[in-house]
Amino acid sequence: MAQNQRSKSIIDSLGEEIIRIIAPVSICMFMVVLMVCVLNTDSSDSASSSVPTIATIAYAETGNDSWWDKLKGALLNSLVFVAVITLATFLMVLLFYFRCTRFLKFYMGFSAFTVLGFMGGEILLFLLEDFRIPIDCITFLVVLFNFAAVGVLAVFMSKMAIFVTQSYLVVIGVLVAYWFTLLPEWTTWVLLVALALYDLAAVLLPVGPLRLLVELAISRDEEIPALVFEARPVVIEDSGPGGPATQRRVWRERRNIGNSSGNASIGSNSTTNVATFPAPGSNFAPGSVLSVSSDNNNNTRLISTEDTELSAPLIDHRITLQSNGLEDALSSESWSLERIGLGSAGAIKLGLGDFIFYSVLVGRAAMYDLMTVYACYLAIIAGLGVTLLLLALYEKALPALPVSIALGVLFYFLTRLVLEVFVVQCSLNLLMF
Amino acid sequence: MEASQSEVNPNPNPNPNTNNNVNRNSIMSSAPLWPTIDGPLGLTEEESLSYSRRFYKFGYALLPWLWAVNCFYFWPALRHPSSFPRIRRYVVGSAIGFTVFTALLCSWALTFAVGGEDLFGPVWEKLVMYNLADRLGLTGWS
Repeated sequence: MAQNQRSKSIIDSLGEEIIRIIAPVSICMFMVVLMVCVLNTDSSDSASSSVPTIATIAYAETGNDSWWDKLKGALLNSLVFVAVITLATFLMVLLFYFRCTRFLKFYMGFSAFTVLGFMGGEILLFLLEDFRIPIDCITFLVVLFNFAAVGVLAVFMSKMAIFVTQSYLVVIGVLVAYWFTLLPEWTTWVLLVALALYDLAAVLLPVGPLRLLVELAISRDEEIPALVFEARPVVIEDSGPGGPATQRRVWRERRNIGNSSGNASIGSNSTTNVATFPAPGSNFAPGSVLSVSSDNNNNTRLISTEDTELSAPLIDHRITLQSNGLEDALSSESWSLERIGLGSAGAIKLGLGDFIFYSVLVGRAAMYDLMTVYACYLAIIAGLGVTLLLLALYEKALPALPVSIALGVLFYFLTRLVLEVFVVQCSLNLLMF
Repeated sequence: MEASQSEVNPNPNPNPNTNNNVNRNSIMSSAPLWPTIDGPLGLTEEESLSYSRRFYKFGYALLPWLWAVNCFYFWPALRHPSSFPRIRRYVVGSAIGFTVFTALLCSWALTFAVGGEDLFGPVWEKLVMYNLADRLGLTGWS
């Protein structure tokens, strides 16, 4: 083995960083596919249960319309949805601009509680009914209450155990994604494409709300008050003169904490290089507007994807390095690494909206067949890889939805229309597969 | 996701004066430096104390899961009996509370599930969750 431990390059940690973002995305998608397969075995696709939501407010798809009507209806739905999301995102930017962070944090906690408590509860009930598990209501309520309360704390408090926070974020993503798969089919696909386009616009255009949000956050050196999945940064054991003290990456803290180290001679390097991916969708403001309101008259309920704050454009955020004389050699090297955004202290952030819409795509693919699931999964991961590459290249906030959704939708339709026929015929004639 | 990696760090060197005496590579330290399971990414000791205390107190609001998270988060304090005495009090208390509560809840749930109607009579039908969901229409929209 090479004795020169200083020569750790970006290659050493690159794989680990990427795995740490792909693993939770994959887990989220897997859970959604599992739930779709388990819970939707008896319902047929054409008889789509028209769940009254904001996404179907313009047009409720029935199985008997002509495809042109369905397309028009789906387009209308998506337009309404994207408009609502845009409004909500702009609202959020406004609130952030006026420093109403307390309100935003409170809203985050509230939406997390709603998603975990109510949506999670509903899905648990579905499972209980499907499997006829004899749990009594007291146990059920205690367990659900616990789950939701700790989830709110994990989302609220920035200093909870990393594993717990990440798990709860993934769970929230799974729950919301599952609810989205309950939308009618045409609406789902058109919505995905519309959101990918919205994402592209919102993050890259100078007037886009997500870009404004990111720039505000960077200029103030604050965290975006949103539900963002942050991968655990890779801590490289470097044998620099400072020793492990120099590697104290402050989880989620953006400021240099050299002052607070107490011991001046340490000069702790709080380098939090954060390469974040804001999920344009993440500014999942849409969720915010979809409030749960039960209309007493006709008993309709709007789906609340209260994850308004599920937005976070891809950010490549570099924090200034604070080093004292001893660590100059070390810091200059790690600084050059961190400029790329995936350096030794890099933590990739992916907005929760990305998780959700990837999983929605895969969940919808699962409603057709598992073949499409495999194809779409590979497409999405490839898209995510491309996006990470672009992030490393451009070092600024990038939308994570467009590439993956484009590839995913393309692969879905190709598989369904072209590949399936081929595979089925080959199998029937015992040629292959 | 992945389990925590840096549970116990090799003894770091906070004071350069004792540089020569401490072998940085010795992982024989029985005293972990960081009280949280996240290691250097986690909290400092003072913050840990306040967090641990808050988790412990909030757990009394019928939140055994919070106690469990407390134990998980401050695992190094639990694992090494001689470290972080102030934090350890709360973590041990949380562990005990969690075990007791879980034992009670599990025994009740099992009694309910296994006993069924024979044990409870007609009340069982009223209490079981899927019936309750049907009656209240909680899953009404699917």
